[in-house]
Amino acid sequence: MTVDTIRPTRRGFLMGSGALSFALLASGAATILPAGAEAQPLPDGRVTAWVTITPDNRMTIMFGSAEMGQGVSTSLPMIVAEELDADWSTVASEQVSSDPEGVYGNPMAGGVLFAAGSSSVEGYFTYLRQAGAQARQILIQIAAAHWDVPAEEVTTHRSTVLHGPTGASMTYGEVAALPDPVWPSGEMPEAELKPRADWAIMGTDVERLDIPGKTTGAPVYSIDVELPDMVHAALLLPPVEGETPTLNSDAAARAVEGVVDVIVMDHAVAVLARSFPAALAGRDALDVGWTETSPFRMANSADELVALAEAADDMSADAVVWESRGSGPADFAAAGVVTGTYTTEHVYHAQMEPLNAVASVDADGMGAEIWLGTQSQTASILIAAAVLGTTPDRIRFHAMQMGGAFGRRTVFAREQMRDALLLSRASGRPVKVIWTREDDVKNGWLRPATVQRLDAVLDAEGYPTALRHRIASPSIFQFAMPDRWNPETRRDLLVMEGAESAEYAFGTFQAEHVLLPRQSRLSAWRGIGWAPNCFARECFLDELAGRAGTDPVSYRRRLLAGSPRALAVLDAAVEMSGFGTAPEGRAHGLAFAGYKKTLATGVAEVSVEDGQLRVHRFWAAIDPGMVVHPQAYRAQVEGGILFGLSSVLRERSTFTAGQIDQSNFYDYEPVRIADIPEIEVRFVESGEPPSGGGEIGVPMTAPAISNALRRLTGEGSTRLPFPAQQA
Amino acid sequence: MVNLNVNGRAVEVNAAPETPLLWALRDELKLKGTRYGCGAGMCGACTVHIDGQAAFACQMTIGDVGGSEITTIEGLSETGDHSVQQAWIAEQVPQCGYCQSGQIMRAAALLARNPRPSRQEIVDEMSANLCRCGTYPRIIRAIERAAQEG
Ligand code: FES
Ligand code: FES
Repeated sequence: MTVDTIRPTRRGFLMGSGALSFALLASGAATILPAGAEAQPLPDGRVTAWVTITPDNRMTIMFGSAEMGQGVSTSLPMIVAEELDADWSTVASEQVSSDPEGVYGNPMAGGVLFAAGSSSVEGYFTYLRQAGAQARQILIQIAAAHWDVPAEEVTTHRSTVLHGPTGASMTYGEVAALPDPVWPSGEMPEAELKPRADWAIMGTDVERLDIPGKTTGAPVYSIDVELPDMVHAALLLPPVEGETPTLNSDAAARAVEGVVDVIVMDHAVAVLARSFPAALAGRDALDVGWTETSPFRMANSADELVALAEAADDMSADAVVWESRGSGPADFAAAGVVTGTYTTEHVYHAQMEPLNAVASVDADGMGAEIWLGTQSQTASILIAAAVLGTTPDRIRFHAMQMGGAFGRRTVFAREQMRDALLLSRASGRPVKVIWTREDDVKNGWLRPATVQRLDAVLDAEGYPTALRHRIASPSIFQFAMPDRWNPETRRDLLVMEGAESAEYAFGTFQAEHVLLPRQSRLSAWRGIGWAPNCFARECFLDELAGRAGTDPVSYRRRLLAGSPRALAVLDAAVEMSGFGTAPEGRAHGLAFAGYKKTLATGVAEVSVEDGQLRVHRFWAAIDPGMVVHPQAYRAQVEGGILFGLSSVLRERSTFTAGQIDQSNFYDYEPVRIADIPEIEVRFVESGEPPSGGGEIGVPMTAPAISNALRRLTGEGSTRLPFPAQQA
Repeated sequence: MVNLNVNGRAVEVNAAPETPLLWALRDELKLKGTRYGCGAGMCGACTVHIDGQAAFACQMTIGDVGGSEITTIEGLSETGDHSVQQAWIAEQVPQCGYCQSGQIMRAAALLARNPRPSRQEIVDEMSANLCRCGTYPRIIRAIERAAQEG
């Protein structure tokens, strides 16, 4: 038997640490040889990268990224399975917890394990198709060798290899069980991957692999992990960021039945107990003083909003240019310039699983096993190693599925893991740290407030010849990722993205960021910068259209004329909704909003009854290039629209003297089922490579609702949340 | 030590009577499908059945429910084939899944009491439970499906 050796070219696929990386596993598994190596008998060791096939013809496909509800545990394996010509009914999937050999990382996230910014399908798309195609090629080569026929004559269909001339066939499971040697397979050129028209798995509404379990209570989140001898920790956290505790007395806490220990940390006092209720009762019984010297004792959200508004208006305030197009500076001080100012308040993530972590530190204090729901396994492992002063190889990490994340569990969430590690090391036992909902609300890392000022110089017909979008806000990036913050350029994509308004032709255009010092802890929130920034722009454009005496659709059509994709989603949303034909007493409003490469237009149908805004219907037309898993993508859009609605109706974090005023869902209440509109989502595929769906529902929603309100009542909202809701 | 009837079985819980039912289920009885979301009766992640009625497990103590039949998501059906669970799969409801035990338990209690609820009755009943992922449209569809097929 001879089979041509295809030279592996990409370390990520084939050559983990110079040994075997990509493989089909069975007892008698298939493996890959380094380029140029001799074929050799199969090792019976465990070797996997993406695909494992067992003799019963079951298949497990690994996925990087992290499952937090967005469906990557299905959509990413679909990509592999497509090129592998797998029978989808045989597929299971498994999350990757760590990646020491650098095989599983998201190419769009610098090759690390990271799930944020709707980047999973977009980032992995080509990579995973190539991985699937390689696996298929390996199966073909094994089968061809076994049958002693040319590999070019072997085809595949639904987990079966076929040889037409002889009529021979085997399931993939049978192939994987062969005791034959295996030959390497090289990188698959993109051109050889299946075109859209040939997709049999991608583009279909297969059931999500994780859903049956989620109907029986079976999923294990980190909050569910139990270990022998484990204790539960409740932390008394500083009332104001950065303050340190003085323990006056822990006698009453230690007297609580079940309390095992009280540990004073730099930034908290922890009560360890045999049950979580006992830990909470112990915490309640602590007598602790705080330094009360934090500069954030001066921080008030109301004052911050005033300062942001002043900075947005003060043209002498230093501004970082984020985007600039067109022919030089325009005169925004001239007569006839139209100005609009929009305000978005702080919001909190409210993921349903409160933040928590479980850690068990080794006896030598220099290694640990960790269970954590995180949007970045890679960053978490590095942080854990730093906490213990050890090396990453000593961290045994379990990436758990998450009960929601929405930006809260990216690199920003490390406190619980750190504390679980420190407490486990101090107590010599496994520790589970749970933040109560109150801890979670009061210690939120908020999306910052923004005040956004737009100025437009208009031509005789009322269209902008120059437009400036000026955003006053503290920097998320500087706070949350200080090691990657560039103090020279001060470009904060977490605040500013979306303000570039890339599809619009505004003549001379500038987007700029006026940075103020932060007054609270900050992080990105679903929709990232796009949500507040598209809100301001799209509300402003409706104002301009109204001034021009033009309807909002044709006004935008003219400004978007250079982007066929934008026009396509705009036209589709207009058509779906019958824009402008709302029933008596209601009105339609529209917004065009992208998220990175995904484009969308939303239409809201609203009424106001007894002063209460009601969104009855919402239509969304989305161009995600191509859709890998339509029903899951649709679910993401629905969820995003409801996030946007929530930011309109009620969501607002405030703080006084450095303390967040809200406590729980009774004073920070996301939308409930009674608030929701009928939602209709339509895909308008442009055929571009797939782009993400996690955020895209958010940015269009608030401005569409505000613009509908404006058409109904003559006045939209310039604020998020809408103040009228309090009227 | 408190005696409870959980999912049709008599069990002894080695905890004080004032222990919240939620934590007794999760940490003493290892029934982790009942979730902690708020501890304040505001989210419904902890919804169980007490004598067939949906109730917040975080808002009652084990001392309160000693004489009651308690059903958790693990006891709703033997094999996960309750009509509500089937409808949940058919409509592909869950996203992160964290709220879903509670949603399913509340929906099942609603349908047991009112097999053909109107849209408004569904919304009224399910307003007790939060879903941050925004699965509400599918929850409504799934309950309507279960009502039809159940
Ligand atoms: S945990 Fe019981 S209602 Fe939220
Ligand atoms: S599915 Fe995530 S909170 Fe409901």
